[in-house]
Amino acid sequence: MDPRIEVSGRTAAFHGKFAARDLREVTAALERIPFGDVTLDLSQCTSMDSAIAARVWSFYGNRKSRGRKVRFVGVSPDLDAVFDRFEEIDKIPPPFGSRKTLKYHFADIGDRVAESWDTVSGLFTFTALAFKALVSGKFRGSMTAYYMEQTGVMALPIVVTLNWLMGVVLGYQAGYQMSQFGAELFMPALLAYSICWEIGPMMTAVLVAGRSGSAFAAEIGTMKVRQEIDALQVMGFNLYGYVVTPKLIALFLVMPLLVTVANFAGMAGGLAAGGMFLDMPATVYLNEARKALIPFDLYWGIIKSVFYSAIIAVTGSYMGMRVRGGPAAVGKATTSAVVVSIFLVILVDALLSLVFVHLRPGLTL
Amino acid sequence: MKDAIITVEDLTGGYEDQIVLRGVSMEVMRGEVLVIVGKSGCGKSTIMRYLIGLLKPLSGRVLFEGDDLWGEPETLLRARRRWGVLFQSGALLGNLTVLENVMLPLREFTELTRPEMTDIAMSKLEMVGMIHAAYEKPMEISGGMQKRAALARAMALDPDVLFFDEPSAGLDPVTSAGLDQTILSVNRSLGTTLIVVTHELDSIFTISDRVVMLDPDEKGIIATGSARELSETSQDSRVSDFFGRRTGV
Repeated sequence: MDPRIEVSGRTAAFHGKFAARDLREVTAALERIPFGDVTLDLSQCTSMDSAIAARVWSFYGNRKSRGRKVRFVGVSPDLDAVFDRFEEIDKIPPPFGSRKTLKYHFADIGDRVAESWDTVSGLFTFTALAFKALVSGKFRGSMTAYYMEQTGVMALPIVVTLNWLMGVVLGYQAGYQMSQFGAELFMPALLAYSICWEIGPMMTAVLVAGRSGSAFAAEIGTMKVRQEIDALQVMGFNLYGYVVTPKLIALFLVMPLLVTVANFAGMAGGLAAGGMFLDMPATVYLNEARKALIPFDLYWGIIKSVFYSAIIAVTGSYMGMRVRGGPAAVGKATTSAVVVSIFLVILVDALLSLVFVHLRPGLTL
Repeated sequence: MKDAIITVEDLTGGYEDQIVLRGVSMEVMRGEVLVIVGKSGCGKSTIMRYLIGLLKPLSGRVLFEGDDLWGEPETLLRARRRWGVLFQSGALLGNLTVLENVMLPLREFTELTRPEMTDIAMSKLEMVGMIHAAYEKPMEISGGMQKRAALARAMALDPDVLFFDEPSAGLDPVTSAGLDQTILSVNRSLGTTLIVVTHELDSIFTISDRVVMLDPDEKGIIATGSARELSETSQDSRVSDFFGRRTGV
């Protein structure tokens, strides 16, 4: 026979054997009981599983908290023991933070600030140790070559494609706006400056941070989870020398090349845009671009790329090294590696821009 | 009488705000097989992390041949080159073959030529019965084989001390028994001091010379002695309950 609950006035009588599948009916029956003091008659209840018992107990707690009495009748010893356990559990104070009080929010802000400070100070220490290993450690040729292939050769198609597209977009938009004033002849110069000074190095850094910074964090994080880092450490390896330095050297070598290629790809995009949308002959575009650029503009992108390489390699490795626990922490580390790398790249770019205006010949504010 | 190769003096340690070990003192004698046992959460793996210098004690000292691991900066590095560690997961580097993994410490810390390193690495792999898988990548071999390969790597520099963290974890009883025999043969043939963290009773009785038992409530050592002594004569219910799980002893 199916279990049922008869509600009469403020009394609910339970009949039969209740299980989790009856939860909806039990909830509906309890909700039908008018507000006030209530009697729950369980004398005809053969059994009740944990889910139903918990729902009945929460009904009891709810009414009690609103100043009403709930009287149980005919509770079996087994069920009584279950309710006693629930009562004991209710007395356990909730852990700090389970209720989002004002105090919790202040503590949370404090924790986050302390955590951010730990991250920043840890990153500085890590950077110092990584560079110490770079200067004093062994050169690992095959590992460096492997990372050069991974971060450089493999990144080439995406770097070329995206920078070419950026060149097309910039060339078209700048050319269109300038043509309104008959100044489209200045488009190649504008494009040359923006690509060599900013877009080329920045786009490349963002792409490398996304591809390689995250890969570094995931690789090292996985090594941490699999105790490979511990194993290297107890074998007496200099972790910075073995794990970080080959990545750092590889990026130092490939980033300037990638930025140079990116600059050419961006300019080629502008050339295509000029030809397609402004009917600008290639010779005119190239002449105007060449007139605008000086060698310093090309070197500047390379100088910036050295800073970006250090940021991406060190941040990715650092985030990987911070992994604690299981695979989920590796996912968080890769995200942090990309976000922090891009943030730092933009921050350093802003700082370098301040230097740039003083260093570039022929540029006055 | 044997001398102590590792001495732990009044060690207190743990993680963040949680103290796991309080005032632990013990000695590991040269050439012995010391097994550290206890219930889950008693600090077995933690004490091993202190012994191998992966954690710095909150207070107290860990001495290797009388030198404090955290005293002079070079002590820990010197000590690490004289011991090998077999981690619970094997911890072989996934991008290297089994042979390259075993050669790794040789490449890093010796001036040997590649053929010489290959000879040594292959002989270590032969000792653990893994020569047939020398050119496999770790992910291509079973868990038991990974552990044996990791043991070969740990032995590459002929260490004075070998540490094992739960060597039987995740292995079937037959493979586990085979690994126990390999561990024993390393001790018997090379005289290497072995420190093994485990809660596998069969392993404890098979390989141990001496057993140290930790307890999570005491946060320290509650019994020391041979496995047989502890199982047959201990009056401490925590010890007898632990060893009482074994039938037919």
